[in-house]
Amino acid sequence: MPIIQREWTPESADEMHKEDWFAIIFSVIAYIALLIGTAMSALFIPVGFFILIIGILATIIMYWIIDPKLRAISSEYEKQEKDYLLKLEEIQKWEANK
Amino acid sequence: MITFQLLDWIWLILFVLLMVFFGFYFYRLGKRSQSDYFLADRGLPWWLPASSVYATHTATDTPIWVAGVVYKYGFAGLWYAFYAAWCAISAFVSTRIFRRSLAYSQAEWQTLRFGELGAELLRGWIAGWSVFMNMFILGWVGIAMGKLCAMLFGWDLYVGLLIFTAIGAVYVYTSGYWGVVMADFQQGVIALLVIIIVSVYGVVAAGGPTAIISKLDSYNSTCEWKVPDVSSSNVTAVVRIIDPELGTELSRSAPFTISGQEDEALFRKTEEKVRASVVDEASKTDQRSKVLFPDANSVLLANHGYNIVWAKSNERKFVDVEFSLDNGMTWDLIAKNQFEGQSWRLNPMSFTGMFEGQFPVAWFITMMIIALIGGFGMGTAIDWYTEAQRIQSAKTVRDASYSIWAGTALVLIRNSIWAAAILGFFVLNPHLGQSGDYEMAWYRVGFEYLPVGMVGFLFAGIIAIHLSTVSTHLNLGAMYITRDFYHHYINPEASEQKLVSVGRVSTIIILIGSFIFGLIIGEEITAWLIFALWIMAAGVWLPNILQVIWWRFNSWGFLSAWIANLGLSWLVVWILPSFGVIPELPDYLQFWALFVLNGMIYLPVTFLTKPENMDHLVSYYVMSRPIGFWGPVRAEAIKQGLIKPSKT
Repeated sequence: MPIIQREWTPESADEMHKEDWFAIIFSVIAYIALLIGTAMSALFIPVGFFILIIGILATIIMYWIIDPKLRAISSEYEKQEKDYLLKLEEIQKWEANK
Repeated sequence: MITFQLLDWIWLILFVLLMVFFGFYFYRLGKRSQSDYFLADRGLPWWLPASSVYATHTATDTPIWVAGVVYKYGFAGLWYAFYAAWCAISAFVSTRIFRRSLAYSQAEWQTLRFGELGAELLRGWIAGWSVFMNMFILGWVGIAMGKLCAMLFGWDLYVGLLIFTAIGAVYVYTSGYWGVVMADFQQGVIALLVIIIVSVYGVVAAGGPTAIISKLDSYNSTCEWKVPDVSSSNVTAVVRIIDPELGTELSRSAPFTISGQEDEALFRKTEEKVRASVVDEASKTDQRSKVLFPDANSVLLANHGYNIVWAKSNERKFVDVEFSLDNGMTWDLIAKNQFEGQSWRLNPMSFTGMFEGQFPVAWFITMMIIALIGGFGMGTAIDWYTEAQRIQSAKTVRDASYSIWAGTALVLIRNSIWAAAILGFFVLNPHLGQSGDYEMAWYRVGFEYLPVGMVGFLFAGIIAIHLSTVSTHLNLGAMYITRDFYHHYINPEASEQKLVSVGRVSTIIILIGSFIFGLIIGEEITAWLIFALWIMAAGVWLPNILQVIWWRFNSWGFLSAWIANLGLSWLVVWILPSFGVIPELPDYLQFWALFVLNGMIYLPVTFLTKPENMDHLVSYYVMSRPIGFWGPVRAEAIKQGLIKPSKT
């Protein structure tokens, strides 16, 4: 089994997996590195460019890990969205409690 | 005051016309339904709500705030703006859950997550609070625009407030969220261009990146000091520098005078003396740690901010700075662990100790926890309420996640670009001790260093960042009135056309409310409302997470958390310290105190009241698929055949 799963069934994509946690970790790293890296690079501080590259790489890795899962979640959910919207309007109009 | 040239006026007029055009262009889309007027019919690709997130959170007061913290703390000040990083986790957790719920607003979500009376009370409370907050934020940014126009053109305060907020209202009224998000996109592009261009000019004006670094390395040490109020007209004072490790005095100033008079000319003249002391090259070699300012001839004005300056020493990292008003008999602390020199401003991890000084590690850790872990919840940051609308306007769950992530990444990068320009400004003006002066750093760079003909472009950019914020809060406030009050409680059978009409009337109500707020906002009410925002973040921070991740947390627990927080925050922040029962706590300790005390109330309330109805929870779970502690609800959903057990 690969370290990063890139094929998802609708049922499995709805659950929280290690891929979600990896994406979260790389997301945090990306934010911190982009913040510091941009500021330091703007003043041509050498380590700033290195940190900025880490930020960009972390963003790419995050996308690579999470995108297949997000696509699976979205495509499955879109099939049910119309029904959910009808239900939402029922609650809005208090019909669900009648 | 500035004077516009022909080219400046052309920039400005073109941009305003573009705004009005967008209002009318999307009129047909906006009027189709409530979903169109408030959510662009949930059909936007990720980059449109992302640009809206970025544009909305770039307001007229944002560069003022960022300039304030970066001028004071250097690159480390960027962490003050890192609260936006809750989106790092939210994009893949709470954003996903919220988008699947399909709730228009956070208030509506309460009735999906919770049930019965408790849910309705929560919906009413959050909707009412949000209407108030949107009016207040509009008033706040509106008056910031009024002040800017007063400074630039000499207009009365209300003129800038009324004109530029009303322009935003035109296209929000006609095309609703369609107009907001489309205008946000072009405003975001213009604002980013302006920010980059002005910041480049700022860095170049300071001599370029290399010169900024070398000047910071050569400047003497400084410490900001707000001179205490003195009852008599003249008081003799003295300041000294202490080695914090040994506790020994390194140097002491000559006695100088503190005057109770108001003399603006004297203040500005003294600031020039401060500047000369900071950049003084000769003092470095033979006068290590000697106090250079104030000296025997200095007259400092009471209640004014100055920088104490002493010769830089490479022998130590920190010093303590103290003052005395009785010729050295007793000493009061000005700053603990103040950095030597100015190079520390380039290090984003310049902390003043674990718990000591103005920038301790303990504050940083608290901020990181609040910001990042807060992403598991909903409403842990005030920005959540505007982001919630953008999340629902995205066409898929995937688009919602990317829009929040990318919009916030752009916000953080923007702050970093500003920070470089503000360090350039510091190199040119290292003497400023009044926050009101250095908070205008970025605007001053723009208006003082841009060439003729570009000032209008800068002002067009300022209008862009103003309108993007104004339009968002007008539409968002109107949505709470329309969706959560009118449609839910007053007229549940209203037609789509009727709801759009109510949305437009609500936009006008929010606009008028914002004018009233803008014109009455003074320092006291502002301080109170900042406090109100703070308590929102403190005591209900964990409940905002628990409502997402824990099935057993119920509406009564959440309501009790809100109510308890209102009382406890007053006690911890103001009442108990004023009676001497507890010391005045730094803000990060206030957070942890409220965190613990509030938990002692809402957790027992949660366990002493019934869980939410299981069928209601199952319905919510199947639709939203929340993460965390939902075992019993998930088991029930599988039992009812509503979801299949996962195979992986």
